[in-house]
Formats: sequence, C-alpha cells, structure tokens
Amino acid sequence: MQHPAFEEVSFYQHQDDDTFKKKIKKTTILLSVITIIELAIGLIIYNIHKGEHPNDTLILMFKGLVCILTLAKAFYIVSVFMHLGDEIRNFIMTIVVPLLLFIWFIAAFLWDGNSYKNLRNNYDKDFKERTTPASHHSTIVPGVKPGEAELKK
Amino acid sequence: MLSSIFVHTGPASGGWTTYPPLSALRQAGDGQKIGTDLWLISMALFIVSSLLGGLNYISTILNMRTKGMSMTRMPLTIWAMFFTAVLGVLSFPVLLSGAILLLFDRNLGTSFYLSDIVINGEILPNEGGSAILYQHLFWFLGHPEVYIILLPAMGMVSEILSVNSRKPIFGYMAMLGSMFAICILAFLVWAHHMFVTGLNPFLGSVFVLLTLLIAVPSASKVFNWLTTLWRGNIRFTPATLFAIGFVSLFISGGLTGIFLGNSTIDIHLHDTMFVVAHFHIVMGVASFFGMFAGVHHWFPKMFGRYMNNTIAYIHFWVTMVGAYLIFWPMHYQGLAGMPRRYLDKRGWASFNQFGDTDKMITVVSIIVFAVQLMFVFNFFYSIFKGRKVTTKNPWGANTLEWTTEINPGHGNWDGEIPEVHRWPYDYSKDGRDFIPQTEPVGENESKH
Amino acid sequence: MSTTVTTHQTKWWSGGKSPFNLEYGKVMMWYFLMSDAFTFGAFLISYGTIRFSQNFWPDPNVVFNAFPGAGHANLPLAFVSVMTFILIISSVTMVLAVHAGHKGDKQGVMKWLFWTIVGGVAFLSCQAWEWHHLITGEHAVLVNGKIEMWGQNMRHNPWGPIAEGITFNGEHVRTPGPVAFGGYFYGITGFHGFHVFSGVIINIVMLLMTQKGAFERRGHYLMIEKAGLYWHFVDLVWVFVFLCFYLI
Repeated sequence: MQHPAFEEVSFYQHQDDDTFKKKIKKTTILLSVITIIELAIGLIIYNIHKGEHPNDTLILMFKGLVCILTLAKAFYIVSVFMHLGDEIRNFIMTIVVPLLLFIWFIAAFLWDGNSYKNLRNNYDKDFKERTTPASHHSTIVPGVKPGEAELKK
Repeated sequence: MLSSIFVHTGPASGGWTTYPPLSALRQAGDGQKIGTDLWLISMALFIVSSLLGGLNYISTILNMRTKGMSMTRMPLTIWAMFFTAVLGVLSFPVLLSGAILLLFDRNLGTSFYLSDIVINGEILPNEGGSAILYQHLFWFLGHPEVYIILLPAMGMVSEILSVNSRKPIFGYMAMLGSMFAICILAFLVWAHHMFVTGLNPFLGSVFVLLTLLIAVPSASKVFNWLTTLWRGNIRFTPATLFAIGFVSLFISGGLTGIFLGNSTIDIHLHDTMFVVAHFHIVMGVASFFGMFAGVHHWFPKMFGRYMNNTIAYIHFWVTMVGAYLIFWPMHYQGLAGMPRRYLDKRGWASFNQFGDTDKMITVVSIIVFAVQLMFVFNFFYSIFKGRKVTTKNPWGANTLEWTTEINPGHGNWDGEIPEVHRWPYDYSKDGRDFIPQTEPVGENESKH
Repeated sequence: MSTTVTTHQTKWWSGGKSPFNLEYGKVMMWYFLMSDAFTFGAFLISYGTIRFSQNFWPDPNVVFNAFPGAGHANLPLAFVSVMTFILIISSVTMVLAVHAGHKGDKQGVMKWLFWTIVGGVAFLSCQAWEWHHLITGEHAVLVNGKIEMWGQNMRHNPWGPIAEGITFNGEHVRTPGPVAFGGYFYGITGFHGFHVFSGVIINIVMLLMTQKGAFERRGHYLMIEKAGLYWHFVDLVWVFVFLCFYLI
C-alpha cells in the first residue's frame, strides 16, 4: 500500500493484531525476567561485598554478566519497542554502525581513568594514603581512638 | 557570546579550550565570572543549532534525493556536506556533556573536574574530579571539529577543480572512500591533542598509530586532486586559483601534522609556534581558501552576477604569498623552542634571533588582513554592481544547480524536479565539452 | 511482504524514494536520538572514568537501600526496581498507543497515551522521593576526629569506608567518600529525569492533539510514532543508568 502522505515511502508494513500483541507480551515478560535476574545478581554482589574477604574476580564476573544482560535488554527495547527490527536492513545499519564508535570511546576513557589513578598513587603518596581503605570496607583513621565518638560542636 | 563583552567583569578569558581547573573556578579571574557562564551557554545553544542543522542535512541527503540520483551520482560537495553533518551530529553532543558538567562545577559546587585545589592557603572542598577528563571530552569533539571545518572545503575544491580543468574528477570512489576513512578516524584520534597533559604514555602510542593512519586518506585525496589537474584544460578563474591554493596549503600543513602526530616529537614541539603554523595552514588558511573558491564559483548562481576578477586575483595572490610568509617562518621558530601565546619574548636571549622574523610576520599579517577587506568589498559591490550573468550555466558545469533559471522561482525548477541519468563529472567526453547530469545516457556512449 | 522487499532491493539507493522506506521526520528523529545517545554516553563514560580513577567507590547497595514508608529497614535495590518496572510498563503502553495509531484507532491512542503519561509522572515522583531522601537523610561521618551529620549532596559524600572500631550511637561510622559520586548521580539521573519530563510534556501535547482530532484530519498518526521513539529512548537510557549507578 502506498502511503498517501509521503511519496518517498515505497510500501507500508502491516502487522496483524494477534502476532503483534503476542510479540509485545513476550518482550515485556522477557524484559521483566532479565531485570529480575539483574536484581538478583545485584544482591549477590552485595552479599559477597559484605563478607570479610570478597573474591574480586567473582564480583567482576557477576558485574560483566549484568553488563551483558543490560545489552540484551537494550537490544530488545530497540528492536521490538522502537521497531528497528522491523525496518529494512539499510536503516538498521545506519543506526548500528555509528554506535560502534562507542567501543573505542569507552575503552580509551576508562583506560586513561585507570592510568590517572595509578599515576596519582605513584606520585602522590598522600592521595594514596587518604583514599585507599585498609581492608575491604573499612579504614583505620589515624589519630582517633577506637570507641564511641562525639558529635562536632 | 557577544553580550558577555558588555558585562562588567568582561567576557570569558579561558581561551578557546577553557580548560579546567581555571575555567571551573569563579575565583580564578574576572573573565571566569559571568563571562564564562555566558560563553558556555552560548556554546550549548550553538551545539543545539548545529545538531538540528546536521540532522537536516543527513536526512535530506539520504532520504530526499531526486529520481536517478543514486549515492554514487552525487557531487562530491554534497558528499562532503554529508560527512560533515555526520561528524557534527555524533561529536558535538559529547562537548555538550562536557560543557554541562563544567557549568555544574562552576555554579553548583560539584567536583567533576576539580580535585585538590588550594587557593591562597585555603583548601577547596572539591575532590575526586579529573581535569584530564574535560580534555578528553573536549577533544572528542575537538578533533572531528577540524574535519567539520575542512571537509566542506575539500568537497568544493574537488568540484571546482574538475569543472575548471574540464576533466572528470580522478578517482571518484577513492575520494568517497578517503572522506569516509577520515570521518571514522576523526573519532579515534582525539587524544593526540593531549600527549603532554598526563595521558597514559602507552595509550598515547595507540593514538599515535591511529593519528598517522590519517595520512593515508589525506594523501589519496591530494593525489586525486593533482591527477585531476594533470593535463587538463585548466581555466584559471579565481575559484580555480583558490582551489589550487587549497591543495598547496593542505600539503604543506598536512606534512607537519606527521611531525606533531608522533608523541615523542610532540614533547619537544607542543605549545610552540610549530603547532601554530601547522594548524593555521592546514585548517585555518586552507579551509578559508576552500570557502573563497566556493564563493567565487557559486556567486553567479547566488546573485546572478560575477565577482570582479581583478580584485579577486589581487586578493588571491597577496593572500597566498602572505600566508606562506606568515606561517612558514613559524616552523623554524617552533623548532627552536619558541612558545606560543606569549606576549613578549624579549626576556629570553635565545629568541632574540627571531625578532626581525616576528616583525616581518606582523607587517605581512596586517597587509593580508587589509586584502581580506578587499574581498568583503568585492562581495558586496558585486551583489549590486557586478557583471550580469547571461547564461544559465556560465562555467559549463554538469551539476543540477546550473540547470535552474538565472532567477529561479519557488521550488527552484518550474514543474517537475529533474531526473538524473549520470554522474556529475562527464567532462570532455566523446568529443563533447560537458554533459549535464540531466541528459540520458546515449546508446553508443563510452563508459567513464 | 518479503517478496515486496526483494523487488525493491536493487533500486533502494537510486533516488526518488527513501532508501529506508521511512518518511523524512522519522529518519530525523532516529538520528536525533543517536546524537542524544552520545550525550548520555559521554556522561556515563565520564562517570566511569572518574570511578576508575579512584581507589575507593561506594557500594550502590549501601547507598540505595531505602523504601518509602519502610523506615530504616535495609532494602537494597528495592525502590529502584520499582522505578525500573514503572518505566518498562510505560514503555509498553507507549508501544500500544503507537500500534493503535497504526490502526487509526483514536480512542485506543488516547487511552494508552494517558497510561504512558501516568507512568512518566509516577517515575518522576519516585525520583523526587529518592533525591529528597538522599539529600535530607543524615549519616554520621567522621571528619577530623569529630562526628558530623551529612546528607548525600554534591559537596559531601557520607559513603566512604567504615572507620575501624569507631561507633556513634552504637552504629558504624563512615569516613567521607569521593565527592564526585553525588555530582554524577544527581547530574545524570537529573538529566535523565529532564528527558522523562520533556517526554511527559510531549505526550501531553500528543494527547491533546489526538483529542482535537489533528491526526485524524492528517490521515496518519506518525507524530505519535515519533513521540514513541523518544519515549522508548528515555527507557533505554534508564536501562544504562540503572546498570551504571545501581548494579555495578
């Protein structure tokens, strides 16, 4: 069917009601399930953190997993809710290809952020002492006796 | 931005890069007060407007081409505008983010860019920020910006050289490929502006590699321009001269970019007159030359009159020679270590040898500036008093804009929008001087 | 439909029609959103950069553990998951509004748009509560050997490491944390909230225009589709904000 208002559009897509409703329902459930899994992982990370000697690799793995799940969610939102999956391939490429720039954008920025930390720890010992916690979630405050502290007047 | 000149503490004084921490601290100087806020807000407005303009270009070029105008039949000027718009749409938002964070730092006391600042013995509460972060955000725009300035000039020069040497453009697909490559690389090389700011040296070496890759598409463009001119029937109109001047400047300015792209050499050359010479030649004067070429070439289309050739020739030669006289000696000054942005260098005995060179540069720049006024005069004078155009297509060009009437009405064409049958560079083909894009391909026509 | 695609395929780029089979305004909306993605991307990447440059960063489960009406109960991530679901559901209602528009069903469009607006407003209210709670909720922080009561704002961060062996009113006391945390949290969620707010305004305008029959007269509901794209984008951004601030 030629769209009456726009001559540049060659044909018009139709989806019948039932498949559409089914698809939306499926995606909604999928998104909810992914979110619940993400929350569960968040709580797992929280509980690992609470422990005395948290396993950093394990935490990193869980965090990586959450990132992948988020990308999956983003994929479903863009392709189903925003109907990008229903567009023709030409258009999908013009949206997806520029987003590849984010790879180097993220990598270079985080890399340099990390390097800034290392530089400061190397050359600014005061920064290192001030900001590095002694154990995983607590720190020894120099010059303050352990016990009940008082409110500043 | 203009209004900031009239506030009582004066306009922004952070330089064009407005690096924090100084730009993020209101205490840093009079110019860092309301002037910088106005500057940042005007930048944000500018970003929004260039974003909307860019969106318009992109969707128009992709979506609204006339019948038969496939992507590979588009004039290179349009391609260049397209890539420019893409660069703008993807890189300006990053500067917007950077500017918003800077505004927050200045006005709401956040610590995005500030950490460990002591002013007159008083420690500021800001902690945890990183001034290098701003530089990353800034140059993520800043580098594509260079190509935003340069690409339209490249496109116009390609078109003008082809029309005026009466030859098809050499390597049309290579031109597209190199513009595309430049467009991609523009986003990957930003940190080569930051080699000496505390960037991770290893990360810097990755940026060196990516930066030097830009030489490949740039060289390919230069060779294509030169081979387009080669054995052509060149008409030395002012537009052609400016286009050739552009190629010359692009070569001389581009070569010094290879020096500066090396992080090790950059340790010596950064912040010297060498840098000033490099970017003024390659993106300052060169892009102006592209613009002058474009104005002279399309002036008959815009106003139905020609610009005055005598003034144009004087303008070209003085500017061309002047540009080299101004910027060439700066390379030597920079190699000798002379820093930029210094008002008075007499305090250093080692720079005394350049005293006379500096004087020469000053005199030449005043002369060149005066000649630019001649161009402005020529422009406005010719709008009203210039020689009238008598034919639709005075340059014998193939592209669509020359098929409209001298005084086009609403919608540019009467009736139907023309259909395109061929690429725009069929010059000197099959014994004909030029074949417009609207002409259907003949039966026995040779292929280009 | 697949046969139609193949017959058109060879000539998609030859001019005279859209190579994407889309009308002009929708293409523009998509590219605008792409540009906006870079704005948000830059914000979140800046946040990541700062976080990578610090030796210590607060655990989100410690910071975001309150729920309205639950007092001081420790309920990590509970409230933000409610916010996330509100936004996902409002996205679904927007899809339904767009679909109703396809069919030219004016009543359907109005019904679903209304629920989308409700979802947007609910999300904004939740965010207002969360901000209010973080700013006004006071926490004992050990500063220069004395206790100070700090809320989470852009100048203070009460979520540093726990001070070893020191208590106040029988509870752990923390040292000051990285100040940049608050700035990024309020800056980015605020910018996102601003997008939600403008999305709500856009949707209200759409609702009024639908009610006045503007789209019926035009013969198509493409404006609803464009507003829908924007609204889904806001949801999309929240997915990433949720990831960066609350989960990792």
